Amino acid sequence: MSLLNEHSRHSRRDILKSSAVALLPLAIPSAKSSWQPQQPMTANGGTDPYPIPWLDKNGSHNQPAGPNLEPSHIYHFKGRVARCSTFTGMGSDNQGNRIAFGSPTTDYGVMQGEYWAARAPQQGTLTHI
Amino acid sequence: MTHVVPGPAAPDNQIHDFHPPIAPSGLYWVVPVPGDGLTISPDGSTFTLEMHNVSIVDQPRWPALDSIATPARMSFKMVWKSTGEPVKYEDASKHFRFTGTRAACQLEAHVEVPSIGFSWKSDPLSTSKSDFAIMGEEVNGRYYDG
Repeated sequence: MSLLNEHSRHSRRDILKSSAVALLPLAIPSAKSSWQPQQPMTANGGTDPYPIPWLDKNGSHNQPAGPNLEPSHIYHFKGRVARCSTFTGMGSDNQGNRIAFGSPTTDYGVMQGEYWAARAPQQGTLTHI
Repeated sequence: MTHVVPGPAAPDNQIHDFHPPIAPSGLYWVVPVPGDGLTISPDGSTFTLEMHNVSIVDQPRWPALDSIATPARMSFKMVWKSTGEPVKYEDASKHFRFTGTRAACQLEAHVEVPSIGFSWKSDPLSTSKSDFAIMGEEVNGRYYDG
């Protein structure tokens, strides 16, 4: 059987099917064609502050509050800071139940000033609550 | 973090544990303060932090890894007042230096967990107390040696 003879047995429907398959790559966006032109941009990381690199005893970036412990929660920082912990107090829920708040790990902090992120100085006020 | 605890202040007694989510960077429970959220007295001896409807979560079983976090919100006012007693903490190995004073700190807060119909409001600020508080200035990281 020659190729010519085989080819001659193709119907018009077969030819239309083949044509559609041949066009398929043009209809599906390839990785190359999905590349859109973009505005010039930097790639310096986000402006969110860095955590203190050292981990607490639980393996977390959660700095406990206390004497001789670092008050700030963010690294590469200079500015005002305040810290507190071990609260005690009372309150009421919406059912009128009297419920206390506070424990040795009930702690808060505030940091205001300059911190380093995205390879540049950033200004901000942040709180640990 | 804010604990609401019926009975003695102990982890086994806590029924609510409020804090912001941990950031993707690993930073624990830190959120930005709006421009007018922190007020500092002219002499620097009093810091007043006040925020409203801060998005937080309630994780009653914290620190269990599978502790469910329910969306909540918190409004609060916190006041640090310097006692004047100087304090300096420094650790060269950890690149930080804090210079300031001891302080007294008080808090009033209102938390809501809408999905379970729970809210809690503390008594007035003057009725609370903290056993440890400091305020001042700190440098750390790349600013430590500068």
